[in-house]
Amino acid sequence: MFKVRDNEPDYAIIPNVEVPEKSQHGTPIQLADENSELFGKSLNINGDAEIGYNPNRYKQHGFHFTADNCIACHACESACSEKNDLPAHISFRSVGYVEGGTYPAYQRMNISMACNHCEDPVCLKGCPTRAYTKYAEYGAVLQDPDICFGCGYCTWVCPYNAPQLDLEKGQVSKCNMCVDRLEVGLKPACASACLGGALDFGIIESKPENRIQAKMEIPGFPTPGITRPNIRFQQTRSLPKEMTRPDTMPIRYTKEEAGQADFKVRVRHKGSESGKIKRGWNFKKLSSREDPLVFFTLISQGVIGAFLLLFLGPMFGLDMLSVESHPVTNKLMLVTLLVLEGFALGISTMHLGKPHRFYRAFNNLRYSPVSREVASLAVFYTMLGGYTVTTIGLFNWLPHGVVSFLSGLFGWLAVISGPVALYAMHKIYRIKARPFWNHWQVLTSFYGTMFTLGALWVGLVFSAVLLYEGSGISELMMPMAWLMVFGLVLEGIGLFFHARYLEKCGNEAAASHWVQRTTFGYTYVVRNIGLGVSLFAALAGAVVCSGEGIAGFSAWLLLGFVIMATMLVGRALFYVLVIPTTMPGAFFWRNTGFQEQARESGLAEMPQVGVLPHEHYQEEALARAAKELKEDLQTIKKQGLVKSLEQLKENMQLVIKNCFS
Amino acid sequence: MLFGRQKKNPVKLPDKGVVEWKYTTCGYCSTGCSIEVGLNADGTPVSCRGSSDADVNRGKLCIKGIFEYELFKSAGRGTVPLVRDKTIDAYKEVSWDHALDRSASEIKRIQETYGRDSFAIVSTGQLLTEEFYTLGKLTRGAIGTNNYDGNTTLCMASAVSGYKRSFGSDGPPGCYDDFEHTECLMAFGSNLPEQHPIIYWRLRQVLEKRSFPVIVVDPRVTMFSQMADMHLAITPGTDVVLLNSLAHVILKEGLEDQAYIKANTSGFDEFSELVAQYDPVSASKICGIDEDTIRNVARLYAKADSAMSIWTMGINQSTHGSDGVVGINSLNLITGNIGVEGGTSLSITGQCNAMGTREWSSCSGLPGYRVLEKEEDRQYIADYWGIDPEFFPKKRGMAQTDIFPAIETGEIKGLWLIATNPMTSMPNTARIRKTLEKLECLIVQDAYQDVETTEYGHIFLPSGLWAEKEGVFTNTERRVNLVNNVIDPPGLAKPDLWIFNQMAKRFDNGQKIRFPETAEGVFKELGELSKGRMLDYSGMTYQMLEEQCGVQWPCTEGAVIGAPRLYTDGKFQYPDGKAKLIPLDFIDNNEKPDDEYPFWLSSGRVVEHFHTRTRTGKVGNQNKFSPTPYMEMNPDAAKALGIEHMSYARLVSRRGDAVVLVQLTQRVAPNTVFIPFHFHDCVNRLTLGLLDPYSRQPAFKQNAVRIEAVEDQDAAAVRNVAARTY
Repeated sequence: MFKVRDNEPDYAIIPNVEVPEKSQHGTPIQLADENSELFGKSLNINGDAEIGYNPNRYKQHGFHFTADNCIACHACESACSEKNDLPAHISFRSVGYVEGGTYPAYQRMNISMACNHCEDPVCLKGCPTRAYTKYAEYGAVLQDPDICFGCGYCTWVCPYNAPQLDLEKGQVSKCNMCVDRLEVGLKPACASACLGGALDFGIIESKPENRIQAKMEIPGFPTPGITRPNIRFQQTRSLPKEMTRPDTMPIRYTKEEAGQADFKVRVRHKGSESGKIKRGWNFKKLSSREDPLVFFTLISQGVIGAFLLLFLGPMFGLDMLSVESHPVTNKLMLVTLLVLEGFALGISTMHLGKPHRFYRAFNNLRYSPVSREVASLAVFYTMLGGYTVTTIGLFNWLPHGVVSFLSGLFGWLAVISGPVALYAMHKIYRIKARPFWNHWQVLTSFYGTMFTLGALWVGLVFSAVLLYEGSGISELMMPMAWLMVFGLVLEGIGLFFHARYLEKCGNEAAASHWVQRTTFGYTYVVRNIGLGVSLFAALAGAVVCSGEGIAGFSAWLLLGFVIMATMLVGRALFYVLVIPTTMPGAFFWRNTGFQEQARESGLAEMPQVGVLPHEHYQEEALARAAKELKEDLQTIKKQGLVKSLEQLKENMQLVIKNCFS
Repeated sequence: MLFGRQKKNPVKLPDKGVVEWKYTTCGYCSTGCSIEVGLNADGTPVSCRGSSDADVNRGKLCIKGIFEYELFKSAGRGTVPLVRDKTIDAYKEVSWDHALDRSASEIKRIQETYGRDSFAIVSTGQLLTEEFYTLGKLTRGAIGTNNYDGNTTLCMASAVSGYKRSFGSDGPPGCYDDFEHTECLMAFGSNLPEQHPIIYWRLRQVLEKRSFPVIVVDPRVTMFSQMADMHLAITPGTDVVLLNSLAHVILKEGLEDQAYIKANTSGFDEFSELVAQYDPVSASKICGIDEDTIRNVARLYAKADSAMSIWTMGINQSTHGSDGVVGINSLNLITGNIGVEGGTSLSITGQCNAMGTREWSSCSGLPGYRVLEKEEDRQYIADYWGIDPEFFPKKRGMAQTDIFPAIETGEIKGLWLIATNPMTSMPNTARIRKTLEKLECLIVQDAYQDVETTEYGHIFLPSGLWAEKEGVFTNTERRVNLVNNVIDPPGLAKPDLWIFNQMAKRFDNGQKIRFPETAEGVFKELGELSKGRMLDYSGMTYQMLEEQCGVQWPCTEGAVIGAPRLYTDGKFQYPDGKAKLIPLDFIDNNEKPDDEYPFWLSSGRVVEHFHTRTRTGKVGNQNKFSPTPYMEMNPDAAKALGIEHMSYARLVSRRGDAVVLVQLTQRVAPNTVFIPFHFHDCVNRLTLGLLDPYSRQPAFKQNAVRIEAVEDQDAAAVRNVAARTY
């Protein structure tokens, strides 16, 4: 149990007050009663079996923040980091601010924010490993870093930047509500440390002494509709009509209509203040921590497309693609696709902080889009594998009928699971906290890529063979060109409507679009031209003439390069452009602009700057994997294979059970 | 579990495994918070928390206190004494005996060659009171140089000087408890929420219970300005004009406390004659505060049953800092707001023991608020120490800010710097470099070996810091509080008290005078020397200090508690027992913006850093909030110059240039920029630091600069990184 001092100051003690039955979200504040199986259990904090004596243990608790009073003294952040022993580059709680007005009628509103222990914790639902739990005790959403495999998906879905991905450690950790303090009736360290009379804590909907408001929103805070957060605000001072952020996020908050109380998120046209809007290429900035995903998604989509063509093509008259017509090429291509997809899956795990724990991705099939994507891709991959081994003849010792039945079964299952996997993949990006992604364009892009790359790869491989054989290629390439046209049109339509959506919605999505048109201005234009050129070239190939001989093939090869480059740039843009609905940062802390600068200038080499010197920690991840796997092996050796298998079985059962509970 | 995994691991929370909490007092600012340092089973300090029983901080700590335990393992600590012949050589590790012998022989050589005062000693506000007293004893009694001062000249000298001029003695008359009683609070150039967050919290607690006008005078829209009821955005350097005009209105409208003035002050006629010239209409043209506001504030302040003023560097660090303090004191004298509950003139002090050095270090005189100019004081101390009173000079020597120019001109040849870093803290860095280069011997005594000044040092003496030692600090409200020894200094580093004692042994007088080995032994001398005086320590013991989490002086022998306020009887320290009302002419001598240098440049602090970052720059969880220097600049001004947010800009003054990251904000006026002073090779490359005629404190806050956009941002970034070793 957390040790309480005899003379613990009053301000650190959670008042025991009456609250309404339901929160402002309309949900019960009491999370479990005496009859519940969740009642009367120990949180087992650090293995301590005792049960806390807080009388309101099963009520949802939350923070109350009086924005009028916050002085940005960092005491809350520091008390948190001190208690949780955090390195400088991580913080469970952060104070950022928005400011507005004109000297001396200037106002700054500071916002201290950690985890809001939401009623609808999107982190918990998004996490593929089920590292998150929402407890009946205090309604705390706790995350277990030991379960986490460091995919960072929770950091994508959380609108408040609460989960902290430590790239160095390869895992996420976050605010734990100081449940050890709560168990003995004390407020969390942060609220107890507040020096401005701003941050407080209690049963949700209970207003601290002297406070008159418990609002759900203040400027800079993402709409509570996304997660139903357990934080309430007081903000009574009138604010300037426009508030800006000190970080480099091109966002401002404005009151646009007379009498309107709410601030709207708008793009801040950075650089327009000084008349210097900078358009650039910024190719270097296209590379990010998400690089493995750029390749993983493109390859997976291409592989699925190519397989669909190989399998379905002959049924639609493209005989030259069949095993019968080109057994060697067909089989080689199948094997290549298998290897390619294996490679894609491999690099996707390199996106993890703990690649060797990839199997935990299946833990949350019930809620997590990541789990579903991984599971459906795994099905596709298995089916593709089954189809390939039965097709290339590894099972020819079985009766022919059996083999062909199996091959057909695998093939058709792969035909179904492939596109399903891409649908699941697209769902990953439909995140409310990332409005740039949250559009159907993701789906058209993924399916578009499937058609375009699938047709391109199959077309190029088989036309090369046809050319070698001395046959014409247009019979193959014209339909392939149509498929590419279809894919490119799909992509184009998506992008067209996406751009319209970005401009219209005004919020972080529009800010992403602004970055797209400025920082990546030239890159964006060239990508669009690339798409247009590819489309016209493919259309010309489909309608007019596909070209023949070496010249024709070379033309297709050239187009292939253009398409691949366009796709690569487009997909990289997709990842680097996203602007989450996070809280405003400060001038240095939580300012991506400063972080970039610190990395480039070398300032980040000093650990006390609080910025990790780079974003790529694959080597560390591999070293960690090697070390932990070695430890696993030793454990297995120590406890014996039988027990280990039993454990495995138990875990598998839990995963299955979790799917239905 | 509402949802989550079926089978849960135990909840794992970081546990630092504290087994013991040791009581001590924070070593950063002068708020004087009681801290408990948590030690784990290995005896390693792993945590800090505020003491709940302490009246000052009532269990709270600010960011610096929260992470203070990290200082014990911070980078750059000095662990071995170092010596070198020339500054172009590399330092060599030596024994303490070697380093001390060398130091003593260099001091003696220089004194013998160039005269006793040609060796100067500059200390700090960071040492413990027992160490200050011992250093004073060593300097005044054994080494015998009159050029001895502390870096407090850069922060509190004006307050000291102003108190002395108004009240006949130093000593802040009020306390934090005055917030509980006051009906009007006026803050001059003080940004409590950032500079003294715990004092701000004390004020905040009162404001939660009842409201009274809080008026902040500051050219910058600081956090305190925003939290205030009224913000007076004054033109830099014109506080005296505002103060005179406030007094003008009060006297003109008959709002003064006639009875108090008559009974307890002198000089009223000259005073009222002068302030008569500062009618709000003319004053508003100079200080930039409109006449209605001046009248409004004057009435508010004078009519309040009790009103208090606080101030910090906005007043102290200017060419009329001492005058500003006198003006504030006079405002409170004419309204009868001295020595009453809620009515006071309270300087919010800077360093943890700036008060201790004022009281006991003998920098500006002799220990216990005694002065060199009085024969009786010289005699008394000489007798107590057992030396010839003729060994003392009869007049105070140079202040820190005069010592450096004297090195420049060759008058001073040797310098002993103790826990101060003039390479970063003094105005006009280029001049300081040139100055330090000239020294025949520079002894640097510091806890940190990487303190920038070691670049010019010949001898480095590694000392312990904060709770690696034992002794007392005095805070802003005269509260003496105990620093317990939590762990020992690293390596061969030693407590400063030990170093002074060892040094004393190497001087003739040092062998005559008693130098107690322990801090508590020294503390007893303080009690004896202060018995019956204003700053009476005689009733205090270490045990009492810890039990009460600090005791305010005066605490006479046998007293159970200290006294919260001074001058409650209206008796002041001037021989006639009266406070002086001093007329203050406004002399406009600041370097002001002009066509060539069109911006005001002001420097100041940020909450996460302290002084020259030798400590805070190494604690990641503090440093990360401002890891590199920046400039607050108005976006409208920046637009005209084509300067962007988050870009580097170059500032040029008549002294030099600096390259700094730009933060565009309306917090500052279009013709003003603000740069934190903590960073090496930055704002003090630009500052002029014109001196106050009384306190010799430099005007860090009023300088003129030109600003240029930087074309090659990469080169600017490289230049900035090169200046940061921590």
